[in-house]
Amino acid sequence: METVIRGLILYVFLMIIFRISGKRTLYEATVFDFVLLLIIAETAEQALGGEDKSITNSFLLIVTLLLTDISLSLLKQKFKYFGKVLDGVPVILLDDGKLLHDRLKKVRVDEADIMESARDLQGLQRLDQIKYAILEKDGRITIIPKEQ
Amino acid sequence: MKKHKGELEIDEDIKLESANWKVQRVAWVLMVLVVIAALLGFTGNGGIGNLQRLKAGSSADGLEIEYERFLRRGAPAEIKVNLVPSGGDSLMDLRLNKDFYEKFHVERILPEPSEQFTHEQGITYRFASANQPFLVIFYVKPDGMGSLPLQFSTSEKAVRITPFIYP
Repeated sequence: METVIRGLILYVFLMIIFRISGKRTLYEATVFDFVLLLIIAETAEQALGGEDKSITNSFLLIVTLLLTDISLSLLKQKFKYFGKVLDGVPVILLDDGKLLHDRLKKVRVDEADIMESARDLQGLQRLDQIKYAILEKDGRITIIPKEQ
Repeated sequence: MKKHKGELEIDEDIKLESANWKVQRVAWVLMVLVVIAALLGFTGNGGIGNLQRLKAGSSADGLEIEYERFLRRGAPAEIKVNLVPSGGDSLMDLRLNKDFYEKFHVERILPEPSEQFTHEQGITYRFASANQPFLVIFYVKPDGMGSLPLQFSTSEKAVRITPFIYP
């Protein structure tokens, strides 16, 4: 029983903590973000398993976590708004060539981040070549270039 | 799907997102508070200024207990008991209630009691003393959760403490 409760508590806790830390927190923008992710995973592992190293315990945990995930995705499908609250929504950061500075500040993204995505995804050189830049749900920035 | 400026199909909901940003800011403040509470020792395992270390009873009465207000389940902790033998008896009994041995995993007792036995009210440790005040340290690992009333008693005096055990 304890395993199931541990799994559920940790799932909910991690979901809340990542939701409130913002989309960009765990987007692997720097090497350190990756290291941070590893540390968090290692720490969470202790809380999940406790001292019980049995196969039963691991199986139960995996089943619990997957079942929680499946239930949530079903709920999200049924109640769209619930999904939006849980996962967030995409945010337009650069609208028709114009930077929306107040939004950039709120989501902790700057011009350099947008240009990084522009180079990476579209091979663009300048900010004025971008028509739309969108911060997606998962923290990536997607770019739509201006038509030539 | 909604259309932004008639061309970009995007499910944007800036009202929800603004609400989310506000919640995020509040949550960051809460996270700061949690860290401060942890530094001050309110989540167990020591803290700045030792605010969470409490004493109960007094050595003048022959029984004094030093303990941490907050413990963590499964984490090592220690409880120090100062005992002052009375009269010319070289053996001294320390009685603890049932919760102690049911909800604490006693790793080690220093000094080792010369005798220990359980009974209906709990457990009794009998220590050999040199007719001088002496200190007993219990190294324990809490097994329960929540507030746990403990009663330490000698033949003359009883002291109650209530540590809180985090999950």
